[in-house]
Amino acid sequence: MKWIPNFNSSNSLRVIFVVAVFILLFLSSIAYKHNRDLDESSKVVMHTYEINIQLERLMSAIKDAETGQRGYIITRNARFLTPYIYSRDKVNTSFIKLKKLTADNPKQQQNLQKLFKLIIQRFVSFENCLKYSDPKTYDKRKLDNHMFGGRILMENIRFQVDEMNDIEKNYLANRLKIYDAEISLSPIFSISLFLVALSFILLAYRQISRDFERLKVYNKKLLISSGLIAESEVIGKFSTWQWDLDTSKIDYSDNQYRLLGYEPNAFVPEKETFLNFVHPDDKETVAKSMEEIISKKQLPFVYYKIVLPNHDIRYFKTTGKLLTDQQGSKILLGINFDITDEHLLNIELQERNSELEKSNKELASFNHVASHDLQEPLRKIQTFVSRISDADKEVMSQSARDYIAKIQISAKRMRVLIDDLLLFSRTNTTKKEFIKSNLNELLENAKGELTEVIDEKKATITTSKLPKLAVIPYQIEQLFINLIGNSLKYSQPDIAPEITIESHKVNSSDYPDLLDQNVKKFHKITFTDNGMGFDPQFKETIFVLFQRLHSKTDYPGTGIGLAICKKIVDNHKGHIIADSTPNQGSVFTIFLPD
Amino acid sequence: MKLFIKFDINTICSLFLKHNLDQHNVNFTTLGFGEIEISDNLDANALEALKNKLSPCGFEVVENQKSVLVQKIKDAIIELVFMEDNNNYKSSVFLAEKLNHSYGYLSNVFSEVTYSSIENFIILQKIERAKQLIIINEMSLTEIAFLLNYSSVAHLSTQFKNTTGITPSAFQRIIKKRRENLK
Amino acid sequence: MQNNALYILLADDDEDDRLFFNDAFEEIKIQTKVDFVHDGMQLMEHLMDTNNKLPDILFLDLNMPKKTGKECLIEIKKTEHLKNIIIAIYSTSSSEEDIEDTFIQGANIYIKKPSDFNTLKKIINEVVTVNWHYHTSGLNRDNFLLRLK
Repeated sequence: MKWIPNFNSSNSLRVIFVVAVFILLFLSSIAYKHNRDLDESSKVVMHTYEINIQLERLMSAIKDAETGQRGYIITRNARFLTPYIYSRDKVNTSFIKLKKLTADNPKQQQNLQKLFKLIIQRFVSFENCLKYSDPKTYDKRKLDNHMFGGRILMENIRFQVDEMNDIEKNYLANRLKIYDAEISLSPIFSISLFLVALSFILLAYRQISRDFERLKVYNKKLLISSGLIAESEVIGKFSTWQWDLDTSKIDYSDNQYRLLGYEPNAFVPEKETFLNFVHPDDKETVAKSMEEIISKKQLPFVYYKIVLPNHDIRYFKTTGKLLTDQQGSKILLGINFDITDEHLLNIELQERNSELEKSNKELASFNHVASHDLQEPLRKIQTFVSRISDADKEVMSQSARDYIAKIQISAKRMRVLIDDLLLFSRTNTTKKEFIKSNLNELLENAKGELTEVIDEKKATITTSKLPKLAVIPYQIEQLFINLIGNSLKYSQPDIAPEITIESHKVNSSDYPDLLDQNVKKFHKITFTDNGMGFDPQFKETIFVLFQRLHSKTDYPGTGIGLAICKKIVDNHKGHIIADSTPNQGSVFTIFLPD
Repeated sequence: MKLFIKFDINTICSLFLKHNLDQHNVNFTTLGFGEIEISDNLDANALEALKNKLSPCGFEVVENQKSVLVQKIKDAIIELVFMEDNNNYKSSVFLAEKLNHSYGYLSNVFSEVTYSSIENFIILQKIERAKQLIIINEMSLTEIAFLLNYSSVAHLSTQFKNTTGITPSAFQRIIKKRRENLK
Repeated sequence: MQNNALYILLADDDEDDRLFFNDAFEEIKIQTKVDFVHDGMQLMEHLMDTNNKLPDILFLDLNMPKKTGKECLIEIKKTEHLKNIIIAIYSTSSSEEDIEDTFIQGANIYIKKPSDFNTLKKIINEVVTVNWHYHTSGLNRDNFLLRLK
């Protein structure tokens, strides 16, 4: 029935139940009343017929008396007086009974009184008749009168009795009519109510059976669900437990027992006994968090070790959340993770990390110190050679002068190498402070460092506006110096170098193979020159440390410059690529994240 | 509380000289930075005593005539550089007029005595003023370049770097960090 | 120029460097008197000794045993009667940050040790000249910063 929409099933069932009960009560009250009425009506009928009977008895008694009297009068046999004598008693008895029976009807009482009077008169008449029929006191005339009067009295009595009977009969008829009227309705009423009740009960039945079906389905799902959860706990190596804070009852999921090294339901979980599983080192921490559960009703992450029955140690991570269920009781839902594997892995990773860090530090400091300490003796060599004055050279042989010149060249080369190595080692510094810098300023500084070469080669440098970025300023300056320096160094002979520096903002999606797609935008800065260029097949190897494309006599270079550029760009999480057309020029492109 | 004090060396020195010379009852008049004329003629001992009195405080009695001229040249240059409105003055003209010698002569004397040129000294003073302006921190480099008659900030930066070896911005940074260290 | 010779003090532990330095100063036109100390502690002892004249310019190597140049620099700048000495750091190559740091700590001049003798002469010539300018022209010593490569 669609017109009972919003009731949830238990409410509707209750309503149906209550209504049905009411209907039943109502029905039974009707039945009861019906019964009572029946009872009443039969009583009334009885009552009426009782009166009727008594009245007839009365009549009969009087008639007996009359008959007796007549018989006696006729036969003068005393035996005929017996009924007459008894009849008086009978009359009295009947009369008393009638008085009782008509007690509720004043009219009848009146009639009764009338009747009584008549009867008395009749008996008086009887007496008189007897008297006057007695031979001793025989009086025919009086006898005839009284006999006649007696007959009239009898008729009156009969009349009165009939009247009384009629009254009773009418009374009865009326009552019966009323009962009939009442009774005729109730069966229909009862049947319709019965039908209503029946329909309600059918409705309820339908609802219950539907609910039942649903419950079965849910139950099935629940079973599957809890089965899955239990399985997932085993697979995922975690477990759950519930702590009812009001009753202090603790429930473990099956896997919780297993994680602690026991079979499910091997023991009854209790707050106090849990600490027995905890490793001595962590007992205090765990005890404290258990206290916090009670006092603060929360359980932030707590890490501790568990000792299994076989003395193995496992690492646990536990957290919990307070839940309030529908009945209002507070339950702390706790989750344990066995993180032993991750923990051990972590420890291993950490150890390896620190080894690597140490090794790195050593390498870096070795690099730095080596470059630094190598400078000293080199500087001495160069300085002492420079001390050999022209006058001294005059007195040397040509070969000696040549050798000195060669020493100077080699020393200079070594100097450049060490300087570059030192620069390279510096780009490896672990402390990297990124400061928001104006790249235009850094470019100006770089150009300043190269002023001499720029002027000497009459180079023109055209720059477009560079952005402001968070960078390591010294390193970016070095990057610019190296790139511009390279362009100047590898310019075409007799052609003034022209270097163009441009900057654009690009999306990392435009260069999916090149750029880190996690960063959306990059700044693309290109350094284009009209120098000699290089064979494009080397466009990746030129960034490799110590890779050179020319012999050192042709072009002084250490092969470190571009490696430094790459290192610097890597430090900034960017990218550098190179391309070139031999004898036309090269383009170096750097991408720096926004 | 931090106060920036700009002090006028001239005033300080004059006061100090006055204080000292008064003690010796020497009457004098100040002719320019570092030049006083004493009314009386001091004899050698008195002059010696005066020299001894003044030298511990960093005052040197200069006796050489050429040195005196050089000192005047320097004063004039300082005046030129630190003037508020010096747009129209060409330094050679200014000096020649002010000191009543040809610029060539002044140039020679200066080089002879100091082993360095007037131009260098001018640059030195300009950069010195730039440093002061940078320290006070109320003007941008552009404004400073403009005030000191440089054609551009780049020009100022280049000269600053050539003279001191560091860029104006590096200088600013260093001064700022020095101040922070003192806190 | 000046009546008294400029008193130069070099603190450097390297014998060869001291030799170069001495020779260079001998060959420049300006009158100077050059003294040497071999390490940081010796330097501080020399400076604190009131019998000793304070140098006009102190050239300070950074890598010295017992007490580094930087430590000496900081200590000198904290000492009342020493903090006005013109200090020139005379050192082998350092990083930009380190160089700036010496200026921040109060050095006036930074000189990278050259690998050519003539360059060294030029450098010290310039230092002395500029210093003299500062000395004589009422320039603010606090702002005296010079960097020579």
